[in-house]
Amino acid sequence: MDILYLLIPLSVILVFVILGGLWWAVDRGQFEDIESEGERILKDT
Amino acid sequence: MLTIATAIQDLPADFPSAGASARDVLALLDDPQEWSAFSRPSALGQGCWESSVVIEGMHCAACSLTVEDALKKVPGVLSAQVGSASRRAKIVWSSADVLPSAWMQAVQASGYRAVPANDVFASERRKRETRQALWRWLVAGLCMMQVMMYAYPAYVALPGDLSGEMEQLLRWASWVLTLPVMLFSCGPFFRNALRDLTHARISMALPVALGMLITFVVSTVGTFEPQGIFGREVYFDSLTMFVFFLLTGRWLELRLRDRTAGALEALMNRLPDSVERQLANGQFARVAARRVQVGDVLRVNPGETFTADGVLTVGATRVDEALLTGESRPLARKVGDAVWSGSHNLTGTVQLRVERIGAATRFAQIVALMESASATKPQGALLADRIAKPFLIAVLLAAAGACAWWWGRDPGHALMVAVAVLVVTCPCALSLATPAAMLAAAGNLARGGVLVRRLQGLESLARVDTFVFDKTGTLTLDAMVLHGIETRDGLAQDQALAMAAALARHSLHPVSRALVNAQALRAAAVEKSHASHTTWTCDAVTESAGEGVAGWVQTAGPAAADIKPVALRLGSASFCAVPARCVPGLQVHLCDDQGWLATFILQEDLRPQAADAVRALQELGLDVHMLSGDGAMSVARVAAQAGIVQARGACTPQDKLDFLRQLQANGHSVAMVGDGLNDGPVLAGANASFAFGQAAPLAQSKADFVILGEQLMAVVQTLRLARHTMAIVRQNLWWALLYNAACVPLAVVGLLPAWLAGLGMAASSLLVVLNALRLAPRLTLSSPTKMGD
Repeated sequence: MDILYLLIPLSVILVFVILGGLWWAVDRGQFEDIESEGERILKDT
Repeated sequence: MLTIATAIQDLPADFPSAGASARDVLALLDDPQEWSAFSRPSALGQGCWESSVVIEGMHCAACSLTVEDALKKVPGVLSAQVGSASRRAKIVWSSADVLPSAWMQAVQASGYRAVPANDVFASERRKRETRQALWRWLVAGLCMMQVMMYAYPAYVALPGDLSGEMEQLLRWASWVLTLPVMLFSCGPFFRNALRDLTHARISMALPVALGMLITFVVSTVGTFEPQGIFGREVYFDSLTMFVFFLLTGRWLELRLRDRTAGALEALMNRLPDSVERQLANGQFARVAARRVQVGDVLRVNPGETFTADGVLTVGATRVDEALLTGESRPLARKVGDAVWSGSHNLTGTVQLRVERIGAATRFAQIVALMESASATKPQGALLADRIAKPFLIAVLLAAAGACAWWWGRDPGHALMVAVAVLVVTCPCALSLATPAAMLAAAGNLARGGVLVRRLQGLESLARVDTFVFDKTGTLTLDAMVLHGIETRDGLAQDQALAMAAALARHSLHPVSRALVNAQALRAAAVEKSHASHTTWTCDAVTESAGEGVAGWVQTAGPAAADIKPVALRLGSASFCAVPARCVPGLQVHLCDDQGWLATFILQEDLRPQAADAVRALQELGLDVHMLSGDGAMSVARVAAQAGIVQARGACTPQDKLDFLRQLQANGHSVAMVGDGLNDGPVLAGANASFAFGQAAPLAQSKADFVILGEQLMAVVQTLRLARHTMAIVRQNLWWALLYNAACVPLAVVGLLPAWLAGLGMAASSLLVVLNALRLAPRLTLSSPTKMGD
C-alpha cells in the first residue's frame, strides 16, 4: 500500500506531462486539418 | 495592413485599462483606404458608410444588445445591428461626425472587440481562438479523467478501508488537478463574468462562473479544513466533469455554428488574399488581391478562386459558379468567355484580363446582401433577447432562495443545490433557437443559388397560402422564340428568314433579336449539312420605333451582281400594309414592293420548369395566381401552359398592387414572384417576395429572396425549406422552454446533482444547434434544360 504514496504524486506529474504533449500538438495545428493528410495519397498533385 | 492586423491581435485582453497604444492602433483604421476595405458607402446619404465587423467575446443574446447600445451611444453612428448567432455587426456611420476608431473604442470599452470583417487577420484570429478552445477542452478532459480516478476509492471504500492519510492524499491530488481546470479551462467564463460585473450587467456567463467558483471553494475548504462549516465533502469530480461537459458543448456548438452560420461566412470569405499578376516583362508575380486593377492580366490555377470579373485570354477550363448562379454543374469556359469573381477554377490554368474589381463585381454584391441579412434579427430572436435578462435574474434569485432554504440543515449541501440551479438553466438554448435554424437555412439556400435578404422573410414565407406570379421574365423567359413561318408561294422559309434577319440585325427590338437568333441557329444547321446558302446585306435601313424596319436588301457574294436590291419592310401589319393573320401569338410581317412575303409567328417561351413549379405549389396546397401587363390573349395562353387557372392580363403596376391588397384583405398571406425590375412596389407589398437576380442589379432588389439562377423550382424548394425551418424553430423553442421549466424546479428542490446539471445544460444548447443543423444539407435544385438545343 505504501507504494501508493509514491504512485499518486507520480500520476499527477504524468498528467502534466501528457498535457504538455497535447499542448505541443495543438499549438502546431495538428488537429486542424484531420482529413486532408489521409486524402493526400489519393491526389495527383 | 498586416501590421495593423498583428497590432490589433496583440491588444491586451483587459480593455478598460488598455491605454494610448490601443488607441493609436485603432487610429490607423481612420485612414479612408483602410476603412474602405471593410466598409462601403451607405445608401443613407452623402458621407455615410456601412461597415461590417466581427464582434469578439460575445456569448449570448444579451451581449448583442449591449454592443448595440454601446455603438448607438456614439455620436455619428446612425445605426448598429449585431447578430447574436452570426457575431457580425453592421454599423452605419457618418464620416463627417465620427471615425471608425471611435466606435471601435466604444465596443472595446464595453468589454468586447470589433475586428474588421473580411480581412486576412479575422480568419487568423479565428484559428487562434479555435486552437485555444480545443486546448482548454483537452485540459479539462484529461484532468477530469484523472480526478475521477482519485474520487473512485472514496465512493467504493467500506468504512475503515481507506486510511485518513490516504484519503487526504487523494483529495490533495484531485485539488492539484482541478487547479488547471479552474485557472485555465474555465478562464473565459470567469473573465466574461468579471467583465459583466464591472459593467454592472448580467449575462449567461455569470451563473455558470458563480456555480464553478462556489463548488471549488466548498471543495477546497473541505480538503484543507475538514472541520469547517461546509463539512468534509468534496466535489472535485463533479466540478471537473461539468466543466468538461460545458466545454464539450461549447466546442461542438462552435464547430456546428461554423458549419451553419459558417457556411455563409465561408461563402463570403472565399476570395484568396493574393493573386498571380502579370508584370511588365511577362512574368507572373504574387501580389495582394486588393492591388489588382482593371486591365491587369491574372493567372489562375486549377483549384483557385477568381478574384475579379474578367475575360479569359489564355487557356480553357471548367468553372463552378454555384454561388453566383445556383448552377451546380461545372461550366466550360474558353478564350473570350467571361468569368466571375467568386467562381472556382476547376480544371485548367487560365489567364484573364480584369474588367471589374472589388465592389463592382457581382460577387461583392452577393456578399453585401448576405452580410446585411446575417446581421438582421428575426422576431423570435428579438423576443428571446428581451427575456434573457429577466430570466437570468430570476435564476439568480431562485438559486439564492434554494440556498437559503437548505442552509439551516447543511451549508455545504445548500451551496451545491444553488450550484445545480445556476448551472442547469440554459437561456442560451432559448436565444439560439431561432437564429441558429434561420442561419442554417439561409446558408443552405445561398449554396443553392437563392439569397435571403431578410431572415424574417423565412418566417413570412412559411405562412404564405397564395402565390402570385408575374408573367414576363418570371414564368416566361425574357427572350421570345420564333414559332412558325408562313411564306408566299415559291419562297423558301429559310430564305425569308435570312432576308428578315438581315434587316432585323439593325434593330434592338426583342422581336428583331428573336429573328436574328432564329436565323443564326438555322444557318449553323445548314452549315453543318454543307448545303449552300445565300447571305444578305442591306443598305439604307430606317427604323420606325415600335412599328418596323425598312431597307434595301441584296445578296452578298459572287451572285450579287445578278440580282437587283429589293426594298423590304419588316414589321407590324399596318407598317407592311398587309392584313393581320388570325393566329395566336405575336406576329411580324415581311413585304416587298409587290406586297406580302412572309409572316413570322413569335411566342414567349415558358421557363422550362414553370409548369412543374406551379403544379408543385398547388400540390403543397397553395393558390397560384398570375398577373401581367400583357394582353389578355397571350396571358391566357401562358397561364394554360403553366397550369394556372386564375390569371389576369392588362394590369398596370397599380392594378397588381391593388389585387395583392385585395387578397391580403381577404385574409390571405401572399408571396409574389417577379423579375425585380419593374414590380418593386408589388414585391414590397407582398408578405414574402422573390425576384430573379439576373434582371435587376442585386443591390437594388427589394425582394426577400433573390434567385440567382434561372430555375423556377427554386421558389418551391425555398418554400419547403422555409416551412421546415419554422417547424425546427418551433421545436427548438418548445425544447428550450420545457427543458428550463422541468429542470429548474428539480434543481431547486435538490434532486439534481451538479454534474447532471452541467450535462443537461451542455446537451440542451447542443440539441438546439444540432436540430438546426438538419437544415444544412445542400438543396438539390434540378438543373435547367436549355431550350433550343
